[in-house]
Amino acid sequence: MITAAALNNPAQVGQPVDADTHFEVERFLVREARVLNDNRLRQWLQDMVSEDIHYFLPVQEVRYQKDQKPIGSSPGAAIFNDNYQMLDMRIQRVETGIAWPEDPVSHLRRFVTNVDAEWSDVEGEVTAYSNIMVYRNRRQRDQAVVYGGRRDRLRNVEGRWRLAARHITIDQRVVLDKNLCYFM
Amino acid sequence: MKPLHELVQDQGAIQDRSIFWSEDIYQRELETIFARCWLFLTHESLIPNTNDYQSVLMGEDNVIVARQADGGIKAFINSCSHRGNAVCFSDAGNAKAFSCPYHGWVFGMDGALKEVPLEDTVYYGDIDRSRLGLKQVAKVESYKGLVFGTFDADAPSLKDYLGGMGWYMDSFLDVPGGIELLGPPMKSILDCNWKNPTENFIGDGYHVGWAHAAALKVAGGPLARVGGLGFFDMDSGLQITVPEGHGFGVIWDAAAALHPGPVGAAYQAWIEQRAAHVREHKGEWREKFYRGHWNASIFPNCSFLYGTNTFKVWQPRGPTSIEVWTWTLVEKEMPEELKQMIAMDNMLTFGTAGILESDDGENMEQCGQVNRGLVTRQGTVYLGMGKGRERREPGLPGLVSDGWMCESSTRGFYRRWAELMSGDSWAALARRARDKEAA
Repeated sequence: MITAAALNNPAQVGQPVDADTHFEVERFLVREARVLNDNRLRQWLQDMVSEDIHYFLPVQEVRYQKDQKPIGSSPGAAIFNDNYQMLDMRIQRVETGIAWPEDPVSHLRRFVTNVDAEWSDVEGEVTAYSNIMVYRNRRQRDQAVVYGGRRDRLRNVEGRWRLAARHITIDQRVVLDKNLCYFM
Repeated sequence: MKPLHELVQDQGAIQDRSIFWSEDIYQRELETIFARCWLFLTHESLIPNTNDYQSVLMGEDNVIVARQADGGIKAFINSCSHRGNAVCFSDAGNAKAFSCPYHGWVFGMDGALKEVPLEDTVYYGDIDRSRLGLKQVAKVESYKGLVFGTFDADAPSLKDYLGGMGWYMDSFLDVPGGIELLGPPMKSILDCNWKNPTENFIGDGYHVGWAHAAALKVAGGPLARVGGLGFFDMDSGLQITVPEGHGFGVIWDAAAALHPGPVGAAYQAWIEQRAAHVREHKGEWREKFYRGHWNASIFPNCSFLYGTNTFKVWQPRGPTSIEVWTWTLVEKEMPEELKQMIAMDNMLTFGTAGILESDDGENMEQCGQVNRGLVTRQGTVYLGMGKGRERREPGLPGLVSDGWMCESSTRGFYRRWAELMSGDSWAALARRARDKEAA
């Protein structure tokens, strides 16, 4: 098996990964979406997320092009800015069985497309870009769709991939839903 | 629309369900409340420099609030005086002028019309630009950094509008350096009436232990002990309502209590270090308020949790929808690291993906949406907790109730709502308040 862990060639940083690695990355992302769709949140955290995870979703902004301040650079401007413990806390809340908005559970369906993986400058890691669409249906006819892009750092440790960082950009200034209390 | 005395009865304890559903009532709210009251615009810390601006909402009106060259603040409606197009499409920024993208009319940061393309030829030089500025918000004032605006030139001063609430808020606004808000705000949609979240923040301590049971169990700060309603006792705090319709509940010695672990410890240490100053300059009561955790609303649609430090505006979008705007409130002189930790906790609790935010959102929506049912919405809803037990406390403005779990400030909110919905002038409202006080 060819994996990123086997490669550490500075000349390849930023270049598309080879076909076998691309296949592994894409399979990881699709599998992750299925685990989350099935609401197996604990399994996701334990098996697919690295303990040094940075899970980040900055507040989207609408600004003129000449205003070049990068999105997410302002203090306090994030919807998710989580480490492993914070993700764990969110999952624990659902596991208490008394998080009323999660019972009955939302129907969530994630679609992952446009996967593009590049060699990273860190040994054993690749940078994976993907598009994500999440359809959510709640109660009887309450529904919303959120679209976004993700830039992930995936790390291969002893042949297994894990999510080491995720930077999500959502394509809505006003989140057109009541909350974003799920993982994208 | 039913007569007002049917919409709010029994000194605010009973509300007709139509006030959460009816389009007619909503349109009257826009006229008699949102076009007259002082509405939160921004904090001075978010527009510190000349020509800094923010796009905001006043009711459903799009407004630009901008820092002027003389240091003052003006606000005007974001709609060109020529054909009505918006002139600014950015959330915020710094600009020398706004150019309408339709025909290129240029407006200064004070809203004045500065340039009209081909003015001398197509208008023959006889257009009166001085009459074609952007429509000004009648009054804009800052209360210790919190910037509000009103469309009503006859409205009382902001200080008088805040009334006793200003006195209470001075507990944390008058610390050295004051407060600031961290943005840009998160924005999301709730399909609820704007009054539901305002009443939730102004005085609903009752829901905390139940609605947020799961979140409090895992959040782990000292406030988590209220996770069981059995822990409640009547000495734990106060609820306060002032005649101007604002109000809050306070839990003693709990300002930092929803922040778990090192954040809670760092924030508590900060409070200890500052409390003596508050006591010295503001007295014993306000030191107590400075150390407490507040759930509060400023009439009509601005709410905050002092301590947890979420700061929100519920922007009305029809009778059954709002935009939720959320900033983080911090003291300006806090170390940057502490500000960031508090902002992170606000995100985790009351942000768009906050674990307590989602508990509330669902309740807010369903409280209103059920009224789609013709028979369902015939009835009334009930806010009778602690009624008749409100009292005066020497040295404290407004009416005071024991225990932060009460519905007196919520009743006060609906009494004020009914007063304003009458359409009576500010002078008449003030006269009636004076008579009531004298009686």
